[in-house]
Amino acid sequence: MQKKEKKQIGKEIITTSEVTKSFGRFQALKGITAKVYEQEVVVVLGPSGSGKSTFIRTLNRLEPHDSGTIIVDGVELNDDVKNLQYVRSNVGMVFQQFNLFPHLSVLRNITVGPQKVRGLKRGDAEDIAMELLNRVGIPEQASKFPSQLSGGQQQRLAIARALAMQPKIMLFDEPTSALDPEMIKEVLEVMTELAESGMTMICVTHEMGFAKEVADRFLFFDEGLIVEEGTPEHFFTNPQEERTKLFLSQIL
Amino acid sequence: MQNFYKWGFETFFGSVFNTIITLLSLIILFFFINSILGFISTSEWKVVEVNRRLLLIGRMPPEHEYRVWPILWVASYLIMASIKTWGSPSYKDLLFIALGITIVCVIFTTSSTYLWVLTSLLICIFSYVITSFIGKSTTANNKNKKILILLWILLLPIIFTILLIGDGPKPTLWGGFLLNIILACIAIGFGFPLGILFAIGRASTLPAIKIVCTIYIETIRGAPLVAWLLLAWFVLPKFLPQFWGINEVSVVVRAMIILSAFTSAYTAEVIRGGLQSIPKGQIEAADSLNLGYANKMILIVLPQAIRVVIPALISTFIGVFKDTSLVFILALTDLLQVGRIIPEQDPEFFGRQLEALCVVAFLFWIISISLSNLSKKVEKSLGIGIR
Repeated sequence: MQKKEKKQIGKEIITTSEVTKSFGRFQALKGITAKVYEQEVVVVLGPSGSGKSTFIRTLNRLEPHDSGTIIVDGVELNDDVKNLQYVRSNVGMVFQQFNLFPHLSVLRNITVGPQKVRGLKRGDAEDIAMELLNRVGIPEQASKFPSQLSGGQQQRLAIARALAMQPKIMLFDEPTSALDPEMIKEVLEVMTELAESGMTMICVTHEMGFAKEVADRFLFFDEGLIVEEGTPEHFFTNPQEERTKLFLSQIL
Repeated sequence: MQNFYKWGFETFFGSVFNTIITLLSLIILFFFINSILGFISTSEWKVVEVNRRLLLIGRMPPEHEYRVWPILWVASYLIMASIKTWGSPSYKDLLFIALGITIVCVIFTTSSTYLWVLTSLLICIFSYVITSFIGKSTTANNKNKKILILLWILLLPIIFTILLIGDGPKPTLWGGFLLNIILACIAIGFGFPLGILFAIGRASTLPAIKIVCTIYIETIRGAPLVAWLLLAWFVLPKFLPQFWGINEVSVVVRAMIILSAFTSAYTAEVIRGGLQSIPKGQIEAADSLNLGYANKMILIVLPQAIRVVIPALISTFIGVFKDTSLVFILALTDLLQVGRIIPEQDPEFFGRQLEALCVVAFLFWIISISLSNLSKKVEKSLGIGIR
């Protein structure tokens, strides 16, 4: 816990207020008000169907929200395309199913964003890509295709792909849920390293060991609302709400 | 050997049912072979021999015939170089190609054209040899690939320049197999990109674009090609604007417009199927990288979507190629029309329809089977990296 004392928590970088989202008649988010600060690692917990995935997907507008406001790095997310582009180029995302581009090589998966969006030259983009592949520990796979990689390697590649855009914030949507148990560790190691480097991260995850280690704050979702929030110590030693207690008793 | 007889007996006469099937097959086979032998023994190929020119280039005036040869040379070079560069042909493939070329040459070479044909053959061999030489160096090979792609794109303009430059023959005089190939190239060359656009349009979330594209596709697909060609014959001039005499364009151009439109509608539906097979996650990943609509489509969605539908796409192209023979409705003499007419023009050839049509069918078959092989090769070479 020593490490967290030292960590500088900066100014607000994501502010949401009363965000709602419905799919047909089902209301997934019923008014989410939350703040995330620079360099903070926030872990989102909750039973399935509680709206936690939907919530982080509204943060880069993969799901447009119905009402309320979302402000990311001082820019409000709305129908304005310029705002959307600003937010998306500053928010990286890692998906449960990796969503790598199967027809592009590992290296090209990473360089496509920097080249097309940030306008880098091919050589520069490839240098960055190799650097990132080193960072996530799979530099020798550069010329292969995603399908030739193991699940853990694929997810690490997905993290490298998102980092290549030099985002200020990283969203993780259950990054280890589709992995075999023996591959979870290698992905969590990369994420831990990323957290320690000071990246602002919001993770939906069920990996409690990882969450306990790196999280600065927990948000507990249930039925489209934030039921409880607090530090990991608070959650593991002294949860207040019945639903939180029930959930923790089920997964611990 | 003992085993072989035993196996044969059991397979063909093992049970009452098998025996009946075997006997029936033998009877059918006998009549089939008998009729083929009968046709071969009585066939007279003079009808083809006399009309070789007509079958290949139709009514193009003899003084313009020289224009066809450069086209053949450019095409031979491109095809052989591409086969070597991308096809990595086995000996079996090469044998097959050589056999096809030989048969075509044997049927269509005359004493006055053998030098031209020989030149084409030499270009084929030269092209293959020089490409395999280039292929030894990776950088040169990559450069060569770019040049070949550029040449393929320029092929149609080159063909038209050669055919039209310096007071060339009127397009209505183009005919025979040349006309089928030109029409098919135009139909596929314009129909394919248009089809991609219509497919994307139909999958669009903007209602106006979606409705326009859907109406276009369903209208074109909703009526037979023959009807559209007749429409082009009678009605199209009234719809086209009157500047520069566009409304009086030759029937060949009208056929090109109709065939391209027809191809684009069918291609669009095939590609739409591919678009629907792309997982939503791919689009979300592209969005989360802020790739933007154009990049997302061109770099992520379309390459995957087209790859999935290559067999259906090539099958559509083969269909279009054969459909070009319907332009006889516009009084154009394409290969099939020539094949139908020639036995009727000279009393000597009465009753020789089968010979003429056999050659016609063979020419169509050669191109179709090549396209089909192309499809197989492309599928195989794109196999790497598929999920």
